[in-house]
Amino acid sequence: MRSEDQERIVTELVSRVCGERTRGAEAGQGGLRETLEESAFHERKRLAADRGKSPAYAEDAAFWDGLQGRLKHGAEHDLRRALRDVVGHYAREVQGNFDPRVYAVATRVLPPALGMLLNAVSPLKLAQRLPSLPSLDDRIEVQGEVEQLRRLHERGTVVLVPTHVSNLDSPIVGFALYKIGLPPFVYGAGLNLFTNPLISFFMRNLGAYTVDRKKQDPLYKDVLKTYATLSIEQGYDNLFFPGGTRSRSGAVEAKLKRGLLGTGLAAYINNLRRGAPRPKVFVVPCTLSSQLVLEAETLVDDFLQEVGKSRYIIDDDEFSQPRRIFDFASQLSSLDAKTHVTISRGMDVFGNQVDDEGVSLDPRGRAIDERRYVFADGEARHVADRDAEYTTDLADAISRAFSRDNLVESTHVSARAIFGLLRKRNPKMSTLRIIRTGGIDDDLALRDVLAELERLLDELRPMHDQGRIRLGPSARGPAEDVLSDGLMHFSIYHTRAAARRRGDRVVPSDRTLLLYYQNRLEGYHLDGGDVLSDDRKNLRGGER
Amino acid sequence: MGALLIAPPEPRLDPHGVAIIGAGPFARAIAQIVVASGARPRVFVRRLGERPELSKGLGQAELSDDLPRVLDGARLVVFAVPAGELEDIATRAGPHLMPDQVALVVSRGLTEGFLLPHEHLRRQTCLRQIGVLGGPLNIAELEAGRRLNVVIATRYRAVLEIARHFTSATRVSFEPTRDLIGVSIAGAIANVASIAAGLAEALELGATARGVLQARGVFEATRLGTAHGAEASTFGGLAGLGELIPRDVRSMERHEELGRALATMPLSAAMEKVGGHVEGVLTAQVASERARQRGLELPLVQGLQAVMSGEDEARKRLDSILVKPLAEGRG
Repeated sequence: MRSEDQERIVTELVSRVCGERTRGAEAGQGGLRETLEESAFHERKRLAADRGKSPAYAEDAAFWDGLQGRLKHGAEHDLRRALRDVVGHYAREVQGNFDPRVYAVATRVLPPALGMLLNAVSPLKLAQRLPSLPSLDDRIEVQGEVEQLRRLHERGTVVLVPTHVSNLDSPIVGFALYKIGLPPFVYGAGLNLFTNPLISFFMRNLGAYTVDRKKQDPLYKDVLKTYATLSIEQGYDNLFFPGGTRSRSGAVEAKLKRGLLGTGLAAYINNLRRGAPRPKVFVVPCTLSSQLVLEAETLVDDFLQEVGKSRYIIDDDEFSQPRRIFDFASQLSSLDAKTHVTISRGMDVFGNQVDDEGVSLDPRGRAIDERRYVFADGEARHVADRDAEYTTDLADAISRAFSRDNLVESTHVSARAIFGLLRKRNPKMSTLRIIRTGGIDDDLALRDVLAELERLLDELRPMHDQGRIRLGPSARGPAEDVLSDGLMHFSIYHTRAAARRRGDRVVPSDRTLLLYYQNRLEGYHLDGGDVLSDDRKNLRGGER
Repeated sequence: MGALLIAPPEPRLDPHGVAIIGAGPFARAIAQIVVASGARPRVFVRRLGERPELSKGLGQAELSDDLPRVLDGARLVVFAVPAGELEDIATRAGPHLMPDQVALVVSRGLTEGFLLPHEHLRRQTCLRQIGVLGGPLNIAELEAGRRLNVVIATRYRAVLEIARHFTSATRVSFEPTRDLIGVSIAGAIANVASIAAGLAEALELGATARGVLQARGVFEATRLGTAHGAEASTFGGLAGLGELIPRDVRSMERHEELGRALATMPLSAAMEKVGGHVEGVLTAQVASERARQRGLELPLVQGLQAVMSGEDEARKRLDSILVKPLAEGRG
């Protein structure tokens, strides 16, 4: 981001957020004092839990102590000034210490920088191992509507919305964008990703702004949304993970967070209102798929411990262990494994598909004037409840794109076949019990697993042909090859293989991981049912 | 922020413009309401030349068989054709519709692929601000100057505002809900229950049997609806239980008549005898198919489907449905 834009964004952000709150207070929707007290309450609570762990602890604590005194005796104008200070404090933290000179360099040296990100080891170790480092170029395959994405980038501002399973996703998307010749996208990265100084350095300079998920203050969330809105209005392409956080279950996200998604529509309306030359905002879904997931074990454990209300922040997973990342990358490279980045057809902020020129289309492919969705009484207007519904429609359209462009690999279909067989063999057991006990048999006959896999592939192949799902290269061969590829991947990285072969038997050794990988096929109403929706209640225990 | 206005999209819609697609009793009732509000609706009628009698009683309404002209500039578009014709009419209307138009769907019934009426509009047109009309559409009350209570399901406030605008001077009260799926499924399955009620009547099973079948209809609509994301409470309200209010509506009467005819003749003959559109027939077929796919038990819907397709004998099947406790089976 250009430094003059940065200045402008912070100034405009403070003015917008403060203006909205002040107007809200005047309209009787909660006074400024309440707003500020709420902020102070949330921040003090956060700082009490933090106990000096975060680098900005002392500075933050001093800031909120100082505010407390001003709140007690402050007159209206003091409160306004205090509000500006709080919003400014948040805005500067979100923006971070971005350096445009480094940005210029980083953009040029992107591929090696991302190589380091992916490997996340010390520069010394990196130098020693350099010859054996996997080349990203070979590892990341970008496919789908790449050409349309390039054109939409020319015709308006793009918001890229990928699926999210791993902390490696943002560097992977960053590299994919570089590979197809697009500049870095602006995106909000969790504070935990900034703890590694090397990663932090590049994240900052590849367009990342900071999102501290521990901050519960609604005013802070307003600042984040306004920051994203303003950067879109300034023409910066954005990257959001609309699932909000990494998928704990391993399933492709069906429920999306609408708060950030709505910023595309807000920016579009603002663009129309000020007569911006390129007002259009395009939302482009994208799916990421690989045979193995770095943090699978931690994520699925979290999912099972608290079905439905997983921890939003995990800071002690595989991603925090550089050694694990290195093992993961080099073992995958030894297997010639690829991560597929599939770009879906772009859409407008209402969820309508757009053509290659960025013209919105109705469901039958006819051009429509999408401005009419927001014009009322002769001008483009924000209408909160209507816009929230449009954003719901957009979220649904993104979910459908995720489902169509979800690429499944050998590990996913193998896990589904093995787990499905376990469910069939143990019809009276809940999913949780199957995971804990493994069911009545210790292992399964290889031929039964192969038959189940063949049946599953027979079901998936026509769906692939109809564009309802994508079968990855490793899931396209005969069942024997697919299973052997799946089992080989399971054996190379995880602490315990999800399943392994012993003679003519298949041992489902880690059912939790099997569930995780099979979940990638959830939501398709495949024969045998969906484990999560059919069984969500039962995952908590008990018999069916 | 300083609003530097850009030229608004053209053409502008007429805020009082109403297009009504269809010429059945509901379409006519709505046309009368709109006329009473002082506006002049345009009503699309196929083959108007062959049916000059349709214009009677519609006062200021303008009847036309020119679809683009009827739709042009209308802020509100009412779709009041039989559910089976909705896909076709939506496809034809699509090129002439605009994103800022508001739609109200009066059609009832499920169609191939388990599509609800409003879903045809979402699949064929750019319309988003859509409402679905439900509840006891007892238009006879309106004609007699009595209060009419209906349900409007929509996610968009503009739909309710427009409905309020056109009904403020009438005795129509409406209850808003966001549950489009629930209201649509409740209305569709009520037709199926009406067929069953007619059949029970012809077989002289008695008033209790009739009541049990209708209660079962609401119960099965709830089960089918909640499996598709509807709210259970919708079915206990005006759009669900409200459907049991006895009323003098031709489409409902046709469903009962079809049921009565089924006691003595096969479906094809019964349909010929009744004539007109009996949406409940396709609804029963589509709902049974979906129940089979999803492992849902819908004894009434599936039983009636078996009777209509000639697989099962009517009296025997109805008997088996009547002895089944409502709460049995998985939902």
